[in-house]
Amino acid sequence: MSSWLAEAAAVFAKDWRSEARTRYALNTLGLFALTTLVLVSVGLGPLGASAAGAQVLPFLLWIVLLFAAAAGLPRAFVQEEETHTATALRLAARPSTVFWGKLAYALSLTLALEVLVAPLFLAMVQLEVASPGLFAAGLAAGGFGLAAASTVVAAIIAQARARSTLFAVLSFPLLVPLLLLVVEVTRNAVGGEPAAVALRQLLLYDASVAVAGSMLFPAIWNP
Amino acid sequence: MPPVHLRFSGLARRFGRLPVLRGVDGEVGAGQVLVVTGVNGSGKSTLLRCLAGLLAPDAGEIDHREDEGEPLPPAERRLRVGYVAPDLALYEELTAGENLDFFARLRRVERERGRELLARLDLPPDRAAGALSSGMRQKLRWAWALLHRPGLLLLDEPFQNLDAAGAAAVGELLAEHLGAAGGTGRPGAAVLAQPIAPTLDPRLAVADRVELAG
Repeated sequence: MSSWLAEAAAVFAKDWRSEARTRYALNTLGLFALTTLVLVSVGLGPLGASAAGAQVLPFLLWIVLLFAAAAGLPRAFVQEEETHTATALRLAARPSTVFWGKLAYALSLTLALEVLVAPLFLAMVQLEVASPGLFAAGLAAGGFGLAAASTVVAAIIAQARARSTLFAVLSFPLLVPLLLLVVEVTRNAVGGEPAAVALRQLLLYDASVAVAGSMLFPAIWNP
Repeated sequence: MPPVHLRFSGLARRFGRLPVLRGVDGEVGAGQVLVVTGVNGSGKSTLLRCLAGLLAPDAGEIDHREDEGEPLPPAERRLRVGYVAPDLALYEELTAGENLDFFARLRRVERERGRELLARLDLPPDRAAGALSSGMRQKLRWAWALLHRPGLLLLDEPFQNLDAAGAAAVGELLAEHLGAAGGTGRPGAAVLAQPIAPTLDPRLAVADRVELAG
């Protein structure tokens, strides 16, 4: 394994080890995901069986995923700053390995969240997916975008004082295009329609945010 | 192998309108300690953070070289120095051993080096860092700082909270570092900042003393 990859893997493994001890992100993600899931399914019932369901439910699925992710993911860097461990990390790891290690951790959490939420959501609202492959690709690409955008925003807000305000201001322009694209892909997957253009745009979004984040991160991380 | 050398001149740093460092100079070579003293708020910690590459000075130059190389850029300085300071914390939810294992992976150092330092400092590897006493945490900072056998140690109040045995153990490690930086075969250097000049082991060569005005 290259030394760069080994460093990033060490950051990833450390974050999971810390999470396994504190369970902060897992509990928060789980709580928000299940609460919104139950509310949506109880409120709407088996909406998937109706024609309107295929149009509306993809939005609701991603709202559930976004709420849960927004509650748990932005802690990645804030916790390092608040507990003063960021200094040790700055002095021991290259910034790019910290960024990609944290992004891999956020991605694994997001994918775990999707694996938990998506099947439950489909079952509870009785929504059938005509193109399961496209549905899974949308979840994977959307999950990556959510993790990448959250990691970039988390890195920026960790250095700021007015964190909650800055989180909202920065997240809105980053997340809205992602959600519009991923909802379109999901809706097309449910209806069995092609979504090559939206999927390509989604992948382009993912690559842009990850590359821009990786390039910006050294300047953000080292004051 | 030619050893470490640090020289800084005209270092200035302000926070907003408050000037903290005003044109500070100093130099330390291999096998030596540079002692920095000054009252609280005189800028000792700020100076060390600048030297470590954690803060960019507003003015002045830092020339940190190793092995006859070019001056290290801040990004490299950060990775090369060993740093002990009150504001440095390790992961409380991980054990002392797990903390050093993690940083050993980042630093590409063998795991046994961390275990050896923990044993020398009489620290239990299986106790969570959050459950260590303040003196034990200080010793863990020392172990963390020495893990990668740095050429230059930056020590901000490094004897804080240590009992007599702890102070003797870290004093011994400092002497070894200056003699042959953690067994690398080349002498290391150190910058030591304290409010009042410490009583150092007579074996340690003091390069110079810098008194910061409050």
